[in-house]
Amino acid sequence: MSDPERAPREPDPAPGEPGQASPAPGSARKPQAPEPAAPDPPAAPATPGPPARPRGRDALLAGLWPPRVTRSQLIVAALLFVLGLGLAIQVRAASADDSALRGARPEDLVRILSDLEDRTGRLEDEKNALEEQRTDLETSSDQAEEARRQTAERERQLGILAGTVAAEGPGIELRVTDPRGAVRADMLLDAVQELRAAGAEAIQINEVRIVAGTFFTDENGQVRIDGRAVSAPYVIDAIGRPQDLEPALNIPGGVVQSLEKEQAGVVIERPETVVVDALRSAERPDYAQSSS
Amino acid sequence: MIAVLGLVLGVVAGILTRPVVPMGLEPYLPIAVVAALDAVFGGLRAMLDGMFDDKVFVVSFLSNVVVAALIVFLGDKLGVGAQLSTGVVVVLGIRIFSNAASIRRHLFRA
Repeated sequence: MSDPERAPREPDPAPGEPGQASPAPGSARKPQAPEPAAPDPPAAPATPGPPARPRGRDALLAGLWPPRVTRSQLIVAALLFVLGLGLAIQVRAASADDSALRGARPEDLVRILSDLEDRTGRLEDEKNALEEQRTDLETSSDQAEEARRQTAERERQLGILAGTVAAEGPGIELRVTDPRGAVRADMLLDAVQELRAAGAEAIQINEVRIVAGTFFTDENGQVRIDGRAVSAPYVIDAIGRPQDLEPALNIPGGVVQSLEKEQAGVVIERPETVVVDALRSAERPDYAQSSS
Repeated sequence: MIAVLGLVLGVVAGILTRPVVPMGLEPYLPIAVVAALDAVFGGLRAMLDGMFDDKVFVVSFLSNVVVAALIVFLGDKLGVGAQLSTGVVVVLGIRIFSNAASIRRHLFRA
Protein backbone atom coordinates (compact mmCIF):
# COMPACT_ATOMS: atom_id res chain seq x y z
CA MET A 1 0.00 0.00 0.00
CA SER A 2 1.85 3.11 1.09
CA ASP A 3 5.21 1.76 0.35
CA PRO A 4 7.48 4.72 -0.12
CA GLU A 5 6.18 6.30 3.00
CA ARG A 6 7.20 3.59 5.36
CA ALA A 7 10.87 4.47 5.34
CA PRO A 8 11.08 5.86 8.86
CA ARG A 9 9.54 3.31 11.11
CA GLU A 10 7.74 4.73 14.02
CA PRO A 11 6.71 2.99 17.15
CA ASP A 12 3.62 1.56 15.58
CA PRO A 13 0.67 0.25 17.35
CA ALA A 14 0.00 -2.92 15.48
CA PRO A 15 -2.29 -2.51 12.51
CA GLY A 16 -4.95 -4.50 14.26
CA GLU A 17 -4.83 -2.28 17.30
CA PRO A 18 -7.79 0.02 17.86
CA GLY A 19 -5.68 2.36 19.88
CA GLN A 20 -7.52 1.86 23.12
CA ALA A 21 -5.98 -0.13 25.89
CA SER A 22 -7.51 -3.42 24.92
CA PRO A 23 -4.88 -5.81 23.71
CA ALA A 24 -7.00 -8.36 21.98
CA PRO A 25 -5.78 -11.74 20.78
CA GLY A 26 -3.98 -11.76 17.53
CA SER A 27 -2.76 -8.23 17.49
CA ALA A 28 0.92 -8.35 16.86
CA ARG A 29 2.04 -5.58 19.08
CA LYS A 30 5.57 -4.78 18.28
CA PRO A 31 6.77 -1.62 19.93
CA GLN A 32 9.69 -0.51 17.96
CA ALA A 33 11.96 2.33 18.62
CA PRO A 34 12.25 4.87 15.86
CA GLU A 35 14.91 3.49 13.65
CA PRO A 36 16.79 6.05 11.78
CA ALA A 37 18.36 3.29 9.70
CA ALA A 38 15.35 2.62 7.55
CA PRO A 39 15.32 -0.62 5.60
CA ASP A 40 15.25 0.81 2.17
CA PRO A 41 16.18 4.42 1.73
CA PRO A 42 15.63 4.39 -2.03
CA ALA A 43 11.98 3.72 -1.39
CA ALA A 44 11.45 7.34 -0.44
CA PRO A 45 13.01 9.34 -3.16
CA ALA A 46 10.33 11.95 -3.53
CA THR A 47 9.79 12.73 0.12
CA PRO A 48 13.08 13.85 1.54
CA GLY A 49 12.21 14.26 5.19
CA PRO A 50 10.65 11.77 7.59
CA PRO A 51 7.87 14.15 8.74
CA ALA A 52 6.59 14.41 5.15
CA ARG A 53 4.51 11.25 5.42
CA PRO A 54 1.11 11.86 3.97
CA ARG A 55 -1.75 11.12 6.29
CA GLY A 56 -5.45 10.48 5.98
CA ARG A 57 -6.98 10.64 2.59
CA ASP A 58 -3.76 11.60 0.90
CA ALA A 59 -2.12 8.47 2.21
CA LEU A 60 -4.88 6.31 0.81
CA LEU A 61 -4.73 7.97 -2.59
CA ALA A 62 -0.96 7.83 -2.67
CA GLY A 63 -1.10 4.14 -1.79
CA LEU A 64 -3.66 3.38 -4.44
CA TRP A 65 -2.12 5.23 -7.37
CA PRO A 66 0.18 4.80 -9.12
CA PRO A 67 0.49 1.06 -8.55
CA ARG A 68 3.89 -0.05 -7.41
CA VAL A 69 5.17 -3.59 -7.65
CA THR A 70 7.32 -4.09 -4.62
CA ARG A 71 7.98 -6.97 -2.31
CA SER A 72 5.76 -5.66 0.44
CA GLN A 73 2.93 -4.96 -1.97
CA LEU A 74 3.17 -8.49 -3.25
CA ILE A 75 3.18 -9.97 0.24
CA VAL A 76 0.15 -7.96 1.27
CA ALA A 77 -1.53 -8.91 -1.98
CA ALA A 78 -0.89 -12.56 -1.28
CA LEU A 79 -2.36 -12.31 2.20
CA LEU A 80 -5.40 -10.47 0.91
CA PHE A 81 -5.74 -13.11 -1.78
CA VAL A 82 -5.93 -15.74 0.92
CA LEU A 83 -8.47 -13.62 2.78
CA GLY A 84 -10.61 -13.22 -0.33
CA LEU A 85 -10.42 -16.93 -0.98
CA GLY A 86 -11.50 -17.77 2.56
CA LEU A 87 -14.24 -15.17 2.41
CA ALA A 88 -15.67 -16.57 -0.81
CA ILE A 89 -15.47 -20.16 0.41
CA GLN A 90 -17.11 -19.32 3.69
CA VAL A 91 -19.87 -17.28 2.12
CA ARG A 92 -20.66 -20.09 -0.26
CA ALA A 93 -20.55 -22.69 2.47
CA ALA A 94 -22.81 -20.60 4.69
CA SER A 95 -25.34 -20.08 1.93
CA ALA A 96 -25.57 -23.81 1.24
CA ASP A 97 -27.78 -25.43 3.84
CA ASP A 98 -26.39 -28.90 4.19
CA SER A 99 -22.81 -27.80 4.46
CA ALA A 100 -23.86 -25.39 7.19
CA LEU A 101 -25.14 -28.40 9.11
CA ARG A 102 -22.05 -30.35 8.25
CA GLY A 103 -19.84 -27.75 9.82
CA ALA A 104 -21.97 -27.43 12.94
CA ARG A 105 -20.97 -28.80 16.30
CA PRO A 106 -22.75 -31.76 17.91
CA GLU A 107 -24.40 -29.65 20.60
CA ASP A 108 -25.63 -27.24 17.95
CA LEU A 109 -27.00 -30.15 16.00
CA VAL A 110 -28.82 -31.46 19.06
CA ARG A 111 -30.29 -28.03 19.67
CA ILE A 112 -31.35 -27.70 16.05
CA LEU A 113 -32.93 -31.14 16.18
CA SER A 114 -34.92 -30.40 19.31
CA ASP A 115 -35.99 -27.06 17.85
CA LEU A 116 -37.19 -28.87 14.77
CA GLU A 117 -39.08 -31.39 16.86
CA ASP A 118 -40.80 -28.62 18.80
CA ARG A 119 -41.67 -26.91 15.59
CA THR A 120 -42.98 -30.14 14.08
CA GLY A 121 -45.22 -30.64 17.10
CA ARG A 122 -46.57 -27.13 16.88
CA LEU A 123 -47.21 -27.45 13.18
CA GLU A 124 -48.88 -30.81 13.73
CA ASP A 125 -51.23 -29.27 16.28
CA GLU A 126 -51.98 -26.43 13.93
CA LYS A 127 -52.65 -28.86 11.12
CA ASN A 128 -55.10 -30.85 13.25
CA ALA A 129 -56.94 -27.71 14.26
CA LEU A 130 -57.16 -26.56 10.68
CA GLU A 131 -58.39 -29.93 9.49
CA GLU A 132 -61.10 -29.91 12.14
CA GLN A 133 -62.12 -26.47 11.03
CA ARG A 134 -62.21 -27.61 7.44
CA THR A 135 -64.46 -30.54 8.31
CA ASP A 136 -66.79 -28.20 10.17
CA LEU A 137 -66.88 -25.84 7.25
CA GLU A 138 -67.55 -28.64 4.80
CA THR A 139 -70.48 -30.05 6.76
CA SER A 140 -71.93 -26.62 7.36
CA SER A 141 -71.57 -25.69 3.73
CA ASP A 142 -73.25 -28.98 2.80
CA GLN A 143 -76.13 -28.06 5.06
CA ALA A 144 -76.30 -24.60 3.61
CA GLU A 145 -76.26 -26.06 0.13
CA GLU A 146 -79.14 -28.41 1.01
CA ALA A 147 -81.13 -25.57 2.52
CA ARG A 148 -80.51 -23.45 -0.55
CA ARG A 149 -81.59 -26.29 -2.81
CA GLN A 150 -84.79 -26.79 -0.87
CA THR A 151 -85.44 -23.09 -0.93
CA ALA A 152 -85.00 -22.96 -4.69
CA GLU A 153 -87.31 -25.96 -5.10
CA ARG A 154 -89.93 -24.34 -2.93
CA GLU A 155 -89.56 -21.10 -4.82
CA ARG A 156 -90.26 -22.93 -8.08
CA GLN A 157 -93.34 -24.61 -6.65
CA LEU A 158 -94.67 -21.38 -5.24
CA GLY A 159 -93.80 -19.59 -8.46
CA ILE A 160 -96.06 -21.95 -10.38
CA LEU A 161 -98.88 -21.19 -7.98
CA ALA A 162 -98.26 -17.47 -8.07
CA GLY A 163 -97.82 -17.45 -11.81
CA THR A 164 -94.35 -15.95 -11.73
CA VAL A 165 -92.68 -18.86 -13.51
CA ALA A 166 -93.66 -20.78 -16.61
CA ALA A 167 -94.87 -24.35 -16.23
CA GLU A 168 -95.31 -27.32 -18.48
CA GLY A 169 -96.69 -30.81 -18.10
CA PRO A 170 -99.59 -33.04 -19.01
CA GLY A 171 -102.99 -31.43 -19.23
CA ILE A 172 -105.70 -30.33 -21.59
CA GLU A 173 -106.29 -27.51 -24.01
CA LEU A 174 -109.84 -26.15 -24.21
CA ARG A 175 -110.57 -24.14 -27.33
CA VAL A 176 -113.80 -22.10 -27.27
CA THR A 177 -114.90 -20.43 -30.49
CA ASP A 178 -117.53 -17.81 -30.09
CA PRO A 179 -118.99 -16.79 -33.46
CA ARG A 180 -121.96 -14.98 -31.86
CA GLY A 181 -120.15 -13.23 -29.08
CA ALA A 182 -122.27 -14.96 -26.50
CA VAL A 183 -119.53 -16.05 -24.12
CA ARG A 184 -119.54 -14.06 -20.91
CA ALA A 185 -116.99 -13.70 -18.20
CA ASP A 186 -118.94 -15.89 -15.79
CA MET A 187 -118.78 -18.78 -18.23
CA LEU A 188 -115.00 -18.56 -18.36
CA LEU A 189 -114.96 -18.27 -14.58
CA ASP A 190 -117.08 -21.44 -14.38
CA ALA A 191 -114.60 -23.23 -16.63
CA VAL A 192 -111.67 -22.11 -14.50
CA GLN A 193 -113.38 -23.15 -11.28
CA GLU A 194 -114.29 -26.49 -12.73
CA LEU A 195 -110.70 -27.06 -13.80
CA ARG A 196 -109.42 -26.03 -10.41
CA ALA A 197 -111.80 -28.32 -8.66
CA ALA A 198 -110.54 -31.13 -10.89
CA GLY A 199 -106.99 -30.47 -9.79
CA ALA A 200 -105.55 -28.15 -12.43
CA GLU A 201 -102.29 -26.73 -11.18
CA ALA A 202 -101.59 -24.00 -13.70
CA ILE A 203 -104.06 -22.32 -16.01
CA GLN A 204 -103.83 -19.62 -18.63
CA ILE A 205 -106.51 -18.17 -20.88
CA ASN A 206 -105.06 -16.82 -24.11
CA GLU A 207 -102.13 -14.79 -22.79
CA VAL A 208 -103.34 -14.25 -19.24
CA ARG A 209 -102.16 -16.41 -16.39
CA ILE A 210 -104.92 -17.43 -14.01
CA VAL A 211 -103.93 -17.20 -10.35
CA ALA A 212 -105.71 -16.88 -7.04
CA GLY A 213 -106.35 -13.17 -7.44
CA THR A 214 -107.52 -13.25 -11.03
CA PHE A 215 -110.81 -11.51 -11.71
CA PHE A 216 -113.16 -11.69 -14.70
CA THR A 217 -115.24 -8.75 -15.89
CA ASP A 218 -117.58 -7.96 -18.77
CA GLU A 219 -117.09 -4.63 -20.38
CA ASN A 220 -118.97 -3.51 -23.47
CA GLY A 221 -119.67 -7.10 -24.45
CA GLN A 222 -115.99 -7.96 -24.16
CA VAL A 223 -114.45 -10.19 -21.56
CA ARG A 224 -111.62 -8.78 -19.50
CA ILE A 225 -109.39 -10.90 -17.30
CA ASP A 226 -107.35 -9.00 -14.74
CA GLY A 227 -108.26 -5.93 -16.71
CA ARG A 228 -106.77 -7.24 -19.93
CA ALA A 229 -109.15 -7.72 -22.82
CA VAL A 230 -109.33 -11.22 -24.20
CA SER A 231 -111.28 -12.15 -27.29
CA ALA A 232 -112.49 -15.31 -28.99
CA PRO A 233 -111.29 -17.84 -29.66
CA TYR A 234 -110.57 -18.48 -26.02
CA VAL A 235 -107.78 -21.00 -25.53
CA ILE A 236 -107.63 -22.37 -22.00
CA ASP A 237 -104.45 -24.27 -21.17
CA ALA A 238 -104.60 -26.25 -17.94
CA ILE A 239 -101.91 -28.47 -16.46
CA GLY A 240 -103.20 -31.34 -14.42
CA ARG A 241 -104.26 -34.95 -14.75
CA PRO A 242 -106.01 -35.08 -18.14
CA GLN A 243 -108.18 -38.03 -17.09
CA ASP A 244 -109.59 -35.85 -14.31
CA LEU A 245 -109.76 -32.54 -16.14
CA GLU A 246 -111.62 -33.64 -19.25
CA PRO A 247 -114.53 -35.45 -17.55
CA ALA A 248 -114.89 -32.54 -15.15
CA LEU A 249 -115.65 -30.28 -18.09
CA ASN A 250 -117.90 -32.82 -19.79
CA ILE A 251 -120.22 -33.64 -16.94
CA PRO A 252 -123.93 -33.18 -17.85
CA GLY A 253 -124.98 -29.63 -17.24
CA GLY A 254 -121.34 -28.70 -16.91
CA VAL A 255 -119.11 -26.20 -18.63
CA VAL A 256 -119.14 -27.71 -22.09
CA GLN A 257 -122.87 -28.17 -22.22
CA SER A 258 -123.65 -24.68 -21.04
CA LEU A 259 -121.19 -23.21 -23.54
CA GLU A 260 -122.68 -25.21 -26.38
CA LYS A 261 -126.09 -24.02 -25.32
CA GLU A 262 -124.83 -20.49 -26.10
CA GLN A 263 -123.84 -21.64 -29.60
CA ALA A 264 -120.17 -21.62 -28.75
CA GLY A 265 -117.93 -24.28 -30.25
CA VAL A 266 -115.90 -26.24 -27.72
CA VAL A 267 -112.97 -28.47 -28.57
CA ILE A 268 -110.96 -30.32 -25.91
CA GLU A 269 -107.53 -31.69 -26.76
CA ARG A 270 -104.98 -33.60 -24.77
CA PRO A 271 -101.56 -32.54 -26.08
CA GLU A 272 -98.41 -34.41 -25.03
CA THR A 273 -97.30 -31.40 -22.99
CA VAL A 274 -99.24 -28.30 -22.15
CA VAL A 275 -97.16 -25.19 -21.81
CA VAL A 276 -98.34 -22.43 -19.51
CA ASP A 277 -95.93 -19.63 -20.17
CA ALA A 278 -97.92 -16.49 -19.51
CA LEU A 279 -96.40 -14.81 -16.47
CA ARG A 280 -97.49 -12.45 -13.76
CA SER A 281 -95.09 -10.15 -12.01
CA ALA A 282 -94.50 -11.01 -8.40
CA GLU A 283 -96.24 -8.53 -6.16
CA ARG A 284 -94.91 -7.66 -2.80
CA PRO A 285 -97.75 -7.43 -0.32
CA ASP A 286 -98.01 -4.03 1.29
CA TYR A 287 -99.33 -5.10 4.67
CA ALA A 288 -99.17 -8.82 5.06
CA GLN A 289 -95.86 -10.13 6.30
CA SER A 290 -94.70 -13.68 6.70
CA SER A 291 -95.22 -14.70 10.29
CA SER A 292 -92.96 -17.72 10.15
CA MET B 1 -3.30 -1.13 -5.69
CA ILE B 2 -1.68 -4.50 -6.11
CA ALA B 3 -3.05 -5.45 -2.71
CA VAL B 4 -6.59 -4.54 -3.70
CA LEU B 5 -6.13 -6.53 -6.87
CA GLY B 6 -5.04 -9.47 -4.73
CA LEU B 7 -8.23 -9.29 -2.67
CA VAL B 8 -10.42 -9.15 -5.74
CA LEU B 9 -8.51 -11.97 -7.34
CA GLY B 10 -8.92 -14.10 -4.23
CA VAL B 11 -12.69 -13.62 -4.16
CA VAL B 12 -12.96 -14.42 -7.85
CA ALA B 13 -10.79 -17.51 -7.48
CA GLY B 14 -12.82 -18.69 -4.51
CA ILE B 15 -16.05 -18.32 -6.45
CA LEU B 16 -14.78 -19.89 -9.65
CA THR B 17 -12.71 -22.82 -8.45
CA ARG B 18 -14.96 -23.88 -5.56
CA PRO B 19 -12.18 -25.43 -3.54
CA VAL B 20 -13.10 -28.02 -0.93
CA VAL B 21 -12.03 -27.22 2.60
CA PRO B 22 -10.87 -30.20 4.62
CA MET B 23 -13.45 -31.39 7.15
CA GLY B 24 -11.26 -30.69 10.16
CA LEU B 25 -10.61 -27.10 9.21
CA GLU B 26 -14.20 -26.14 8.43
CA PRO B 27 -15.23 -24.80 11.86
CA TYR B 28 -12.15 -22.56 11.96
CA LEU B 29 -12.53 -20.93 8.58
CA PRO B 30 -15.20 -18.36 9.54
CA ILE B 31 -13.27 -17.33 12.64
CA ALA B 32 -10.06 -17.10 10.65
CA VAL B 33 -11.76 -14.94 8.05
CA VAL B 34 -13.09 -12.57 10.68
CA ALA B 35 -9.67 -12.37 12.32
CA ALA B 36 -8.04 -11.62 8.99
CA LEU B 37 -10.63 -8.93 8.34
CA ASP B 38 -9.70 -7.39 11.66
CA ALA B 39 -6.04 -7.35 10.63
CA VAL B 40 -6.90 -5.79 7.27
CA PHE B 41 -8.91 -3.02 8.88
CA GLY B 42 -6.08 -2.41 11.30
CA GLY B 43 -3.64 -2.19 8.45
CA LEU B 44 -5.83 0.21 6.56
CA ARG B 45 -6.09 2.41 9.59
CA ALA B 46 -2.35 2.32 10.12
CA MET B 47 -1.85 3.34 6.54
CA LEU B 48 -4.14 6.30 7.00
CA ASP B 49 -2.26 7.17 10.15
CA GLY B 50 0.84 7.15 8.05
CA MET B 51 2.51 4.39 9.99
CA PHE B 52 1.86 1.34 7.89
CA ASP B 53 4.49 -1.34 7.96
CA ASP B 54 4.22 -4.42 5.84
CA LYS B 55 6.12 -6.61 8.28
CA VAL B 56 3.81 -5.66 11.11
CA PHE B 57 0.87 -6.25 8.85
CA VAL B 58 2.02 -9.71 7.84
CA VAL B 59 2.75 -10.75 11.38
CA SER B 60 -0.51 -9.38 12.75
CA PHE B 61 -2.48 -10.96 9.95
CA LEU B 62 -0.99 -14.41 10.47
CA SER B 63 -1.01 -14.29 14.24
CA ASN B 64 -4.60 -13.04 14.27
CA VAL B 65 -5.69 -15.97 12.17
CA VAL B 66 -3.68 -18.52 14.09
CA VAL B 67 -4.69 -17.28 17.52
CA ALA B 68 -8.34 -17.10 16.59
CA ALA B 69 -8.30 -20.62 15.21
CA LEU B 70 -6.39 -21.79 18.27
CA ILE B 71 -8.95 -20.32 20.63
CA VAL B 72 -11.77 -22.03 18.80
CA PHE B 73 -9.86 -25.29 18.69
CA LEU B 74 -9.24 -25.07 22.42
CA GLY B 75 -12.89 -24.24 23.00
CA ASP B 76 -13.94 -27.29 21.02
CA LYS B 77 -11.69 -29.46 23.12
CA LEU B 78 -13.07 -27.96 26.31
CA GLY B 79 -16.65 -28.33 25.14
CA VAL B 80 -17.35 -24.61 24.99
CA GLY B 81 -16.49 -24.17 21.34
CA ALA B 82 -19.73 -22.43 20.39
CA GLN B 83 -19.55 -19.91 23.22
CA LEU B 84 -15.87 -19.27 22.73
CA SER B 85 -16.16 -18.70 19.01
CA THR B 86 -19.03 -16.32 19.71
CA GLY B 87 -16.78 -14.48 22.12
CA VAL B 88 -13.97 -14.27 19.58
CA VAL B 89 -16.32 -12.94 16.95
CA VAL B 90 -17.65 -10.33 19.39
CA VAL B 91 -14.16 -9.14 20.32
CA LEU B 92 -13.00 -9.00 16.74
CA GLY B 93 -16.20 -7.24 15.77
CA ILE B 94 -15.62 -4.56 18.36
CA ARG B 95 -12.08 -4.05 17.11
CA ILE B 96 -13.24 -3.87 13.51
CA PHE B 97 -15.79 -1.27 14.51
CA SER B 98 -13.29 0.94 16.31
CA ASN B 99 -10.82 0.65 13.45
CA ALA B 100 -13.55 1.51 11.00
CA ALA B 101 -14.40 4.51 13.13
CA SER B 102 -10.88 5.92 12.95
CA ILE B 103 -10.69 5.13 9.24
CA ARG B 104 -13.89 7.06 8.82
CA ARG B 105 -12.45 9.97 10.77
CA HIS B 106 -9.51 10.03 8.43
CA LEU B 107 -11.46 9.77 5.25
CA PHE B 108 -14.38 12.03 5.98
CA ARG B 109 -12.88 14.12 8.75
CA ALA B 110 -15.96 13.39 10.78
